[in-house]
Amino acid sequence: MAKASPLSEQERADLVAYLDGELTGEAARALEAKLSLDPAARAEADALRRTWELLDFLPQPQPSLRFTHHTLQRLAPLQADEQRRRQRWCIRCLGLGWVAALLFSAWVGYVGYNWLVPREPGERELLQDLRIIENKRLYDHIEDLDFWRALDAPDLFGEETSNS
Amino acid sequence: MSATGKSSTQLALRDPDIRLMLRVRDDDAGAFEELVELYQQRLVALMHHLVGNAEEAEDLAQEVFLRVYRSRKQYRPRSKFSTWLFTIANNLALNALRSRQRKPMLSLPAQDSGPLGPRPAEQLVRDRGSGPMRRLERQELAERIRQALEGLNERQRMAVVLNKFEDMNYAEIAEVMGLTTKAVKSLLSRARENLRAALSSYIYMDGERVPEGSD
Repeated sequence: MAKASPLSEQERADLVAYLDGELTGEAARALEAKLSLDPAARAEADALRRTWELLDFLPQPQPSLRFTHHTLQRLAPLQADEQRRRQRWCIRCLGLGWVAALLFSAWVGYVGYNWLVPREPGERELLQDLRIIENKRLYDHIEDLDFWRALDAPDLFGEETSNS
Repeated sequence: MSATGKSSTQLALRDPDIRLMLRVRDDDAGAFEELVELYQQRLVALMHHLVGNAEEAEDLAQEVFLRVYRSRKQYRPRSKFSTWLFTIANNLALNALRSRQRKPMLSLPAQDSGPLGPRPAEQLVRDRGSGPMRRLERQELAERIRQALEGLNERQRMAVVLNKFEDMNYAEIAEVMGLTTKAVKSLLSRARENLRAALSSYIYMDGERVPEGSD
């Protein structure tokens, strides 16, 4: 049966970090002191170091000779898809551009027409201004608006009151 | 220029791989192929150590490259390029290992690395020793180590592979795996302890004297 580890979990984590060159300062000095005094801790450090070195015996896998070719082959549908999406986007932009251009030219046409060709008053507008039209002959004699407002004053044209 | 923009430019100037990735981002013809050539060995090896199967490892490595291509337009150099690449690889490998746990696969023996048997480089490693007995011992040892590595949980395995074979320090591993440096320290400590337990009978071989206080 394996003996219990002489190190606590924290100490072992520090030891592994120390072996990896990741422990510095006070913690590293404390661990070095423990290793110099404790043969069991030293043995543990040695075992951990050797275990790590054993991993060098694993073969270094190499990619197959056609790896790049196969990767680029798998890339082709992706690129084609991107190309299709880009084309679709362009077509959509072009369509939207045409619609915008049509709307703009319609608006320009409408505004231009109204500006160039004065509109004849409609029946409703004529009815609205009927009283003015009927009295146009009288209104023609009024020279300015102040005079026209003065006509409304009761002192000038108000009804005479009887003194009976 | 903003602080982030400035540091990105400095990073790009320092790391040639970032410059290469920026060319991929800008749809420079040939840059992606260059990137695949540059990183294929490291990625395939990483995946192989994680999944233990050559075909699956190649498939996963290719998938990593495709993800790099797909996300090239969003690429912003914030850290070393390899850190970004291995973060993608980490996510993909962990997903693959988890889905494999859900539907167990038949694992092929280590010597069946490809459909045509062991690859030349693997054969070379196996043949380095002298004589068939030595070769057999090395083969057996490699197989035991592979089993010990497979015995670790997927996060421990990833941390070990990044530390041992990619020479990443704890901070880099933490960035790749989305963990704190403290968590990586604890992960690697437990991983090493598990490996030591699994490989205890291979640590002292050929009549070596076991140091005092050892198991």
